Amino acid sequence: MAQVTLDRVEKRYGDVIAVNQVSLTIEDGEFVALVGPSGCGKTTTLNLIAGLLELTDGDIYIGDTLINDLDPKDRDIAMVFQNYALYPNKTVYKNLAFPLQMRKVKKQDIDARVRETARLLSIEQLLERRPRELSGGQQQRVALGRALVRNPRVFLMDEPLSNLDAKLRVQMRAELKRFHQDINATIIYVTHDQLEAVTMADKMAVMSGGYLQQYDAPDVVYNHPVNTFVAGFVGSPAMNLLRARAAREQDVTRLSSGDGWSVPLNDALASRVATSSTDEIVVGLRHNAIRLVDGAATGAVPATVYTVEPTGDITFVHARLGDAMIVFSVGPASTLAADDQIFLQFDQEHMHLFDGATEQALAR
Amino acid sequence: MSAVESARPARARKRRKRDFWSIGGWIFLALLLIFSLVPMVWMFLTSIKTQFAAIEYPPQWLPKHPTLDSYRRLLSPSNDFGRDFLRWLGNSVWVSTATTILGVIIAVPAAYAFSRFRFPGRNGLFYSVLVRNMFPAVVFLMPLFVVMRTLDLVNTHWSLILTYLTFGLPLSIWLLKGFYDNIPIELEYAARIDGASRFQAFLRIIMPLSAPGIIATAIYSFIVAWNEYLYAYTFINSRELLTSPVGLRTFFTEFVTNWPGLMAAAFIMSVPVVVLFLVLQKYFVKALTEGAVKS
Amino acid sequence: MVNHRGDYLYILPALVVMMVVIAYPIYFTIRLSFFDHGRALQFDDLEWVGLDNYRLLLTGAYSREFWNVTQNTLVWTVFSTAGAFFLGLGAALVVQREFIGRGIVRGILLIPWVISAVAAAYIWRWLYHSDYGLISGILTDLGLIDRNIIFLDDVDLVMPALIVANIWKEFPFAMIMLLAGLQTVPEGLNRAAMVDGASTWHRFWHVTAPHLKSVTLITVLLLTVQNLNSFTTVFIMTAGGPANASQIWVTDIYRIAFNRTNFDVASAYSVILFGVMAVLGYFYVRALTRGDSTRSTV
Ligand SMILES: Nc1ncnc2c1ncn2[C@@H]1O[C@H](COP(=O)(O)OP(=O)(O)OP(=O)(O)O)[C@@H](O)[C@H]1O
Ligand SMILES: [Mg+2]
Repeated sequence: MAQVTLDRVEKRYGDVIAVNQVSLTIEDGEFVALVGPSGCGKTTTLNLIAGLLELTDGDIYIGDTLINDLDPKDRDIAMVFQNYALYPNKTVYKNLAFPLQMRKVKKQDIDARVRETARLLSIEQLLERRPRELSGGQQQRVALGRALVRNPRVFLMDEPLSNLDAKLRVQMRAELKRFHQDINATIIYVTHDQLEAVTMADKMAVMSGGYLQQYDAPDVVYNHPVNTFVAGFVGSPAMNLLRARAAREQDVTRLSSGDGWSVPLNDALASRVATSSTDEIVVGLRHNAIRLVDGAATGAVPATVYTVEPTGDITFVHARLGDAMIVFSVGPASTLAADDQIFLQFDQEHMHLFDGATEQALAR
Repeated sequence: MSAVESARPARARKRRKRDFWSIGGWIFLALLLIFSLVPMVWMFLTSIKTQFAAIEYPPQWLPKHPTLDSYRRLLSPSNDFGRDFLRWLGNSVWVSTATTILGVIIAVPAAYAFSRFRFPGRNGLFYSVLVRNMFPAVVFLMPLFVVMRTLDLVNTHWSLILTYLTFGLPLSIWLLKGFYDNIPIELEYAARIDGASRFQAFLRIIMPLSAPGIIATAIYSFIVAWNEYLYAYTFINSRELLTSPVGLRTFFTEFVTNWPGLMAAAFIMSVPVVVLFLVLQKYFVKALTEGAVKS
Repeated sequence: MVNHRGDYLYILPALVVMMVVIAYPIYFTIRLSFFDHGRALQFDDLEWVGLDNYRLLLTGAYSREFWNVTQNTLVWTVFSTAGAFFLGLGAALVVQREFIGRGIVRGILLIPWVISAVAAAYIWRWLYHSDYGLISGILTDLGLIDRNIIFLDDVDLVMPALIVANIWKEFPFAMIMLLAGLQTVPEGLNRAAMVDGASTWHRFWHVTAPHLKSVTLITVLLLTVQNLNSFTTVFIMTAGGPANASQIWVTDIYRIAFNRTNFDVASAYSVILFGVMAVLGYFYVRALTRGDSTRSTV
């Protein structure tokens, strides 16, 4: 069983805490995406699981075995590196054969495994080339092949697609997903591209500043971000986060920005606001939770169009709302133009509320 | 054998106009070649003259009766002359080879550590290794002699090997560190995940990648050891333990007027290093450009 | 806590060798320079004499000779360095062009650097020979002189003669360093300048030269150090003669220590040399560590 468990894992470099008290469990056969901005500790976490770095604190288990002190070679994992790390002086064939050689597999078995893996990844015709004679996509396949060639318990992948062009990336994304389904492997996949995570993973772990922020299925993370960081990080374009102050008058809770807008909240939201530790609230609205309305609608707030970005089937509108800049979407038929004065309404069914002080989501 | 293979073919061809600098450059190159070559050609011409022909006045430009007698004498073990010379050459080969091999064995892990690890005192140690060759050999002669006496190494080849090691180490460590700096750590990681131990990863992946650097530093160590004179002259006092540079001087003091013999000996002892260098110089320049200059 | 003890194991062999062969001798030399050790190669029974050895050297019995030798050393170092550098620069620029046989030409030019200094010294001694030397022979044949020139036994000619031999041996080093440096000049820049109609000289001065700045600094420093330390050429060709006309610091230290067995004075002499080297070493390390600087070494 290849369940991977991290228990309060920590890695320090002097005063820098690269990974801070991270605990999570990856079930057997799960595809988990580790996402977060640059420098948040993703690679470090992966290297800790691989045994390439020494833990400062905490425990890591594969199955029921504590592997803290196990050498990388004894952990039965495979890893695909961000820069592929193909052995530059070996041919593709030898790159693929190396993990088997090191494990003393018999020669004819090696040959069979290498050729089978090459066929799986359609790189049979590249076997005699050296890495520098390959395109980025081909190198990526070889790197994947080197991981696949033996049947490890866990795959670790560090931004394997980040060096590819957009088209190839989409194609490889599909192939990886398919590959996961076919062999039902446990995969931990690092990326800073949250779209990749959302589209491929069973679960995503969002990291920031060395901390694990949220660990859940992508749709849960997308729909119920636990704090403003996750809210702003997951989803594209980023969720609009607006600071406002809550005030209750005549049984109605209103959120007011202090720079030009104020909306009354429905009861469900009002009761959540009541749980906040301060009256300062961060309102989170995705682009599709803001509607264009006319001035008479309830809760309409005035805004000024800044710029319009048609992308085909959906058009993103950047608008100035008070002192803030927000993004919302309209249909492709929209005739909005820069500097238009407009009115917007917040979709209260899809409004996220966060405590202004702790930045945590207000419980529903 | 070409040295620095640069990618600038366009310039020479495009530039039709033979300006002053271009013509001047060719003339300069011709003069430079004459300056470089004449002493060596003269060494060789002298070495194939008879002893009398060499001290004729005015000099014979080309020997009228070229002879390989000097070489025959030097390389035949059947006379005293040849026996000594061959033994000295052998001593030089042994001392230089041992220095080179030990140098690689010591420099490679040190360079690797300086490149990969961040231990306290790393920079200080690194630069103190580098400035070693700033100190003239002469000033270490006497204290080192005392050290060698304490270690009971005086009049042994090990005194030379130990000393020569420190000549090559700074350059070796510096150049190799440059190489290791340029090898991504992920390659090592990949190897270790693929089932290699730390040492295997180094041996099977990193070593081959730094081979040009190792070859370059090995050549350098070998040449320096082969050519060293002062310490060999001071530390060794048995005739049969001398290395060839000191042997050359011994010849000279013993056969003052035998210039053909001396030139032949100089020629013979230059051949190994020149051949070695010319065959491997592309590694040397590559190492200098890759490991050092590019940074 | 990260444990670095294992890391030191890697550099331990290098350190041990360097300690035995460098650190201890330096300590020994500095210590001895403050003592009187008598005349034997025994160093256990020493008498503290403070700065006496330095006084002896700088103002006392050895001072005339010392300052004379210092002057020679300056001449030797400055002219050898400048000569080797400019010849090496010229060589690097011409063999950098594309032409058939370039590899062979480069190889030939590098030979003098590779051969042993002893061999080179004897070759040049033979070239300069007062009776049968090639140089006098050629000059006579050309009718430029009617009597052979006595290069190495003439107090005025000996230094220039030695310097020429030294430059012959050293310019290839400058060439190879500068060739490596020239690889870092972006070809695009040169093209752009050519399109702009810059002359060869302008291109060199405004495009190439700025890129060679750091490699030049290091090459000149290394040549200087090499020349200050170069012993064999002078020792074999003239041993400092005639009448000390070609005596330089290192050969003088050798003479005082081993011919006159004045190890204490020689130690003081060495310490002074250390001082000079330390200053050069400082600039050297600084040149190496400067942000964009070219890295290279001894
Ligand atoms: N060897 C090291 N010494 C000191 N700090 C380090 C070291 N390696 C990583 N760090 C720090 O640890 C933090 C996490 O680094 P890590 O490489 O895990 O980031 P990442 O999430 O993979 O980022 P990216 O998306 O850019 O690859 C960073 O702040 C980094 O500066
Ligand atoms: Mg990373």
